Amino acid sequence: MRSGDFKQSYGELVALTDSRPVWLWSAILVVALIAAPYMLNSYALSFLIIILITGVGALGLNILTGYTGLISLGHVGFLVTGAYAYAVTVSKYGMPPIVGFLAAGIVPALASLVVGAPSLRLKGLYLAITTLAFSFIINTVILEARTLTNGARGISVQRPEIFGVSFDSDTAFTHLCLGFAIVTLFATLNIRRSRVGRAFVAIRDNDIAARVMGINLHAYKLFAFVTSAFITGIAGALYGIYLSFVSVEGFPFLLSIEALAILIVGGLGSALGAVLGTILIVLLPEATRFTFSLFSAQMDALFSTGAQELKSMLYGLVIILFLRFQPRGLVGAWHDIRRTWVNWPLRY
Amino acid sequence: MTPLLTVENVSKSFGGLKAVSGVSLNVTQGEVCSVIGPNGAGKTTLFNVISGVLRPTEGRILFNGTDLASVSSSRFAAIGIGRTFQNLALFKHGTAVENILTGRHTHLRSSVIDAVLYFGRTRREEIAARKQVEEIIEFLEIEHIRDAIVGTLSYGQQKRVELARALACEPKLLLLDEMVSGMNQEETEDIARFVLDIRDELGITVLMIEHEMRIVMDISDRVHVLNFGRKIAEGTPAEVRRDPAVAEAYLGGNRSDAGAKVSA
Repeated sequence: MRSGDFKQSYGELVALTDSRPVWLWSAILVVALIAAPYMLNSYALSFLIIILITGVGALGLNILTGYTGLISLGHVGFLVTGAYAYAVTVSKYGMPPIVGFLAAGIVPALASLVVGAPSLRLKGLYLAITTLAFSFIINTVILEARTLTNGARGISVQRPEIFGVSFDSDTAFTHLCLGFAIVTLFATLNIRRSRVGRAFVAIRDNDIAARVMGINLHAYKLFAFVTSAFITGIAGALYGIYLSFVSVEGFPFLLSIEALAILIVGGLGSALGAVLGTILIVLLPEATRFTFSLFSAQMDALFSTGAQELKSMLYGLVIILFLRFQPRGLVGAWHDIRRTWVNWPLRY
Repeated sequence: MTPLLTVENVSKSFGGLKAVSGVSLNVTQGEVCSVIGPNGAGKTTLFNVISGVLRPTEGRILFNGTDLASVSSSRFAAIGIGRTFQNLALFKHGTAVENILTGRHTHLRSSVIDAVLYFGRTRREEIAARKQVEEIIEFLEIEHIRDAIVGTLSYGQQKRVELARALACEPKLLLLDEMVSGMNQEETEDIARFVLDIRDELGITVLMIEHEMRIVMDISDRVHVLNFGRKIAEGTPAEVRRDPAVAEAYLGGNRSDAGAKVSA
């Protein structure tokens, strides 16, 4: 049993984790995820891909809403902007996918400056409404800018080929999404343990004290918007590629709610929470469908016809249940379990 | 000796209410200076104006020869003004170490991109910052609570973490807003000792708001007295104690034994 700290250098103090088991299990998880596409059938694999893509998006929103405490209802706007940026550069103008992914990050980041700048003085509900409006404005802009976006007809997108490696098969595409998810996770964790992440959290917890510490509130709120939009845009591009067709209808407003549900269920302000929340929320509708299908075929049919409506009801239900019974989210539950496990048979 | 901080005729109104009116004071390098006065005298408003949380309605403030009107509020920490708050203003979900590290903000340089990559510059910077934070933790004797979530700490401990965070800014002038309110005798004496150490060992000038007269009289070099937004007296603790205007502000009326409370 580990008891007490035995750190001998400051380098160990700033490391992501000093626990060998954590590194070991993380490595095993990554290997398992790399191997998963060879084991799973295509139906199960589609869930893995969705989890990985949604995870990237949730980590993006986590920077803005979880760390900086700025609630955004408009993140679907950044998703759709990223998807279109990729589709336009790659499918329409035939540029290499690498450029497409860069555009998928940069274009939403620029858009976030437009929505972020007027939001600097807004908080809470007012900010939520502003971002909500943004996501609808973006949809209209995309529908009207027909020469660039084909309007309502959408743009079809091929699976990419990067540096001669084709990501056409589901297996290869899963690996691409896994790569993006891992890079995003590390980027998020690194931001969190640096000066920038501390500034974000300081703004969330007490903005006056943050300013007295010398944190430029306007600049850091914009940094949070830009970083968040960049990551979310890349998730949007991946989602567009996965759907193989980018259109405004492919990115319903429900995705914004889903992203917030993920953060609340996972535990606000935690990268681990965003990951756990993603897994739960993505699998929840399917798990519910499966449970009900055990009882009757009628229920099963109901789930396939009214999928969207039932999904939004489920999200609402889990948000309420989590806020009532586990407000710190899955990550809070995980901490409780870990503490009980370490201290057993003592209470604390 | 030129003063580190010069407050010249500063007023601050909120609508029709004049919280501070025409206050002038000097703080000399290396002093421990106190601002006292009854509740509602405008002490905290004065601090907010000096630390850039509020802007003065009239008058001007010079710090180290710079007019603070030309400094943006997020630059106050960088030019050397640190402060604590009357009612705790910690980042309550973070650990003590994280809170104190936040105080290092202006001394670190990593951009968002450096932070994402982390290795190299940011890592070196974080290690150096962590080392300095550990020194402050040792200085203020809070080793045992360094990894605790500050929201779970006692009031006295949180105040001490807040002091540590202000010290991490490496201020030239430290503003302490009612550090010892709600503390017991022992904690108060600890803080008094720290304030003197901060001045003597770290060379930081201290300006403090304090209701606790023992600490004011024991460790201050100069005392400024405010009442109803105006400065009514200034001097050494002994001079202020004898000042009839001060006794009147605290006790009202014109009684011959009015000085008793202040000197108690």
